[in-house]
Amino acid sequence: MSEHPDKQKWSALVKKELGEPVESLNWMTPEGILVKPLYTAEDLEGLDFVNTLPGFSPFVRGVRASMYAGRPWTIRQYAGFSTAKESNEFYRKNLAAGQKGLSVAFDLATHRGYDSDHPRVMGDVGKAGVAIDTVEDMKLLFDRIPLDDMSVSMTMNGAVLPVLAAFIVAAEEQGVPQNKLTGTIQNDILKEYLTRNTYIYPPEPSMRIVSDIIGYCSKRMPRFNSVSISGYHMMEAGANSVLQTAFTMADGLEYVRAALKAGLGIDDFAPRLSFFFGIGMNFFMDIAMLRAARLLWNELMQQFSPKDPRSLMLRTHCQTSGWSLTLQDPYNNIVRTALECLSAVLGGTQSLHTNSFDEAVGLPTETSARIARNTQIIVQEESKVCQVVDPLGGSYYVEYLTHSIVKEAKKIIAEVEKLGGMAKAIESGMPKMKIEESAARAQARIDQGKDIIVGVNKYRVEEEILTDVFEVPAAIRDEQIARLKETKVRRDPQAVAQALAAVTQSAEGGGNLLEVCIPAMRARATVGEVSEAMEKVFGRFVATTQCISGVYAAEFGDSEIVASLRKRTDDFHERHGRRPRMLVTKMGQDGHDRGIKVIATAYADMGFDVDIGPMFQTPEEVARMAVENDVHVVGVSTLVAGHKVLIPHLLEALIQEGGGDILVVAGGIIPPADYEFLYGQGVAGIFGPGTVVTDSVNQVLNALEQKSKANHDD
Amino acid sequence: MTTDSVEPYLNGVREGNRRMLAKTITLVESSLPAHQELAAAILDGLLPYTGQAIRLGISGVPGVGKSTFIETFGMMLIRKGLSVAVLAVDPSSSRSGGSIMADKTRMDKLALEEKAFIRPSPTEGTLGGVARRTREVMHICEAAGYDVVIVETVGVGQSETRVASMVDFFLVLMLAGAGDELQGIKKGILELADAIVINKADGNNIEKARLAKKAYENALSLLTPSSPSWSPPVLTCSALELTGIDAVWDTVLDHREKLTATGEFDQKRRNQAFDWMWMLVEEGLKARFFSNKEVQAQLPKIKQAVAAGAVTPAAAANDLLALLEKKGMR
Repeated sequence: MSEHPDKQKWSALVKKELGEPVESLNWMTPEGILVKPLYTAEDLEGLDFVNTLPGFSPFVRGVRASMYAGRPWTIRQYAGFSTAKESNEFYRKNLAAGQKGLSVAFDLATHRGYDSDHPRVMGDVGKAGVAIDTVEDMKLLFDRIPLDDMSVSMTMNGAVLPVLAAFIVAAEEQGVPQNKLTGTIQNDILKEYLTRNTYIYPPEPSMRIVSDIIGYCSKRMPRFNSVSISGYHMMEAGANSVLQTAFTMADGLEYVRAALKAGLGIDDFAPRLSFFFGIGMNFFMDIAMLRAARLLWNELMQQFSPKDPRSLMLRTHCQTSGWSLTLQDPYNNIVRTALECLSAVLGGTQSLHTNSFDEAVGLPTETSARIARNTQIIVQEESKVCQVVDPLGGSYYVEYLTHSIVKEAKKIIAEVEKLGGMAKAIESGMPKMKIEESAARAQARIDQGKDIIVGVNKYRVEEEILTDVFEVPAAIRDEQIARLKETKVRRDPQAVAQALAAVTQSAEGGGNLLEVCIPAMRARATVGEVSEAMEKVFGRFVATTQCISGVYAAEFGDSEIVASLRKRTDDFHERHGRRPRMLVTKMGQDGHDRGIKVIATAYADMGFDVDIGPMFQTPEEVARMAVENDVHVVGVSTLVAGHKVLIPHLLEALIQEGGGDILVVAGGIIPPADYEFLYGQGVAGIFGPGTVVTDSVNQVLNALEQKSKANHDD
Repeated sequence: MTTDSVEPYLNGVREGNRRMLAKTITLVESSLPAHQELAAAILDGLLPYTGQAIRLGISGVPGVGKSTFIETFGMMLIRKGLSVAVLAVDPSSSRSGGSIMADKTRMDKLALEEKAFIRPSPTEGTLGGVARRTREVMHICEAAGYDVVIVETVGVGQSETRVASMVDFFLVLMLAGAGDELQGIKKGILELADAIVINKADGNNIEKARLAKKAYENALSLLTPSSPSWSPPVLTCSALELTGIDAVWDTVLDHREKLTATGEFDQKRRNQAFDWMWMLVEEGLKARFFSNKEVQAQLPKIKQAVAAGAVTPAAAANDLLALLEKKGMR
């Protein structure tokens, strides 16, 4: 087929309508895909996947023949907070209200393999999820929820062994044998090194843990998904849709190879691999992304010659983007989430989590959680979109985008393969740099208004609506520690010691690690103890930080804003004998470092000297570094509700170290209701989600100038 | 917190007060004349307490693992009961003037040690990859009682020469490549090195490292050593697997012992003092030149004349320098 006979006429008509040539309507997406204003049959020429059927390879139109026409996707809301008891009540309420599966969020202390009484997790216990120390907590979590009947998804990667073991033992004590268990364990460690940093051990032993779990599940838990290969966190860290697709596929390949190397047959485990994608605001792009991912996986898996067609299927969970939510005018988030929800559905997801509109501020309330759940129910039960399989199949635009994503992603996958696979590529730093560059560019586009966010950089409202925010009470940690103590008193110390010795031995000598972790958890060893038993052999990993520079300003171009800020920092230099110097840091176990990376590169581009601290620091450690490097200001990034404990602690520690003159500013997810408290403590500036970075630079400089004036008046 | 009196700084540094040490370094690095005056007075007061530390320069191309090496090496020194100061130099952007200093993310254990002090400094456009005041900062750390002072350079450009001229022992880190070790390396850097250490000699790399060691040994044997009593050795280590690190320290001590015995050590330090003096003279002259009112007045005109080709650069330079003398005579 060639060009549409009337294409020229159409171009002329466009030109007449607009007074501009048709090319002026072209759009270069962040993925580097050129999007035209019109697609026709000509654009589908040579695309052999277009006229295929769902349920059959290459699965672009869906993994099941009947898709939602037969059974809609699973509404699976991710939740968990404070203690097991409270989370349990929340789960049971949601199940009664129409939710179908559970998805457990754990707190960062648990993720990183620390018990609730560990001094490093002071600000983390029960904050971003539920705290699990022992089997007792796990039993409470699933109290009166029959585990033979309920599909349970667990977002756990770092402390995956003790947590999965605790789940198995809790089920066993409920009378449910492990072969009856259904659900998913995330168990995707590679992306942790790329984005969230929620790992414990170095990459090599961590990969062994992944394949031990895949191996164990393929034999003993045939209905359980042993890994959920996740692109979601990459998107949240700033990856565009092509990067998300490519790196997720590359991670998947790495796990397949690890399992094959561990002696498994491809069809023993490949059907139990599942995926997890993040869906953002580029509506058609992310529909196409899910279709492209299925095409790619089908193609990539051919090289292992599976016999079972299910080994070629990409089944996925999706979540709407948390990053796309704004603090400003927060009810807009309901609309954003609804669009992203529809995008995931039209892309053909198997299950979905929709975010609550208040998640840019804090944990969801009962009301916001209900709206989020109902968003899916309305699409599922009111909108009639489920009636037809792959309703956008054959759309010139969507099919073209699908093809383009496949094409671009393949280039990146080839780059990864050339480096020796994803583990090696991560070591080289390549994927992280690409994601961070993509994040810095996105921030610069938003800050300039090239990408529009309603309520943030356009149509701003004068008065911010303060929504209700759920707050985890500070006493949670004490409560958790008390139960931990009680469990420790009642257990048989000798049995625990023996079981832990077996874990260490297996870490050293070999064998399946999950097999030895189960008896340890059954004996009431703690998550921290089991993690430490392996740490003795594996060591604890700390990532090094690489940072890009120049990208933010480059996306900005030679704008006046950049020039004026550079002039301000130059003037500062002239007056004070050096450039403004800022330490950007995160405290506690929160490893989301997109924020500090973007801030570091943007501030350096505006002429700041920027220090970056190691991950997972205590307030005392941050204070020491601030004092030693003699910075003017510490910028704390906080995303998981530890701010009310950690920031006052930091201010105190700064005074202790003789750095009481150092300013502290905070950014990230902080409920507006806490602003007053933090200002009262002495915080000099708070920058919530949606703050234009260049504005924050100005405010920080104002605060510094103000302080130096005050000092001169003394 | 800024005060104009020297005493609190002197006492603070001598007592090893982290905050005052940090503040003193800031003063020394400051470009404000008032700060520089104060800094000069502080340095004068501290000079009697300097000289006892071992001064170590560490260089190598980006990616060779300098920070990781220093983390491991520093922790080894701490275990031996020594205290360590690390001065890390990070490049400033020529466009924005800003910098990103992430050294401590790779020295996360050392950064927490009570007996360690790590200070990253931006190059601020100084050629040679050394911050403008590294030498002064090194002396301040000595006065604060640190046993070993390590200067880490950004590893590009002429940094090697500058650093080598201010330390006792200049260590060059190398990677074992695929047989082309010597191609990218300037002969100059081999002449400066007191030892070459091949890092990342671990895992599949061990054999490559052994080959590289041979290649460097051959290359060094062709050079005349800078000291008759010291032939720079080639060592291998793994900062990751903690092998060969002690041997590096033994080499540093051996070097000191041998050169002290022959008197070369003291001679080297004396020469470095002269270097320092000349550098300051040079800097002072330059500063005086640019702050000269006549020069400031005439410079735009003379520049224009050079640009237009009306005056040769040499003649213009003569005219400018003459302006300085005119003022001097007045």
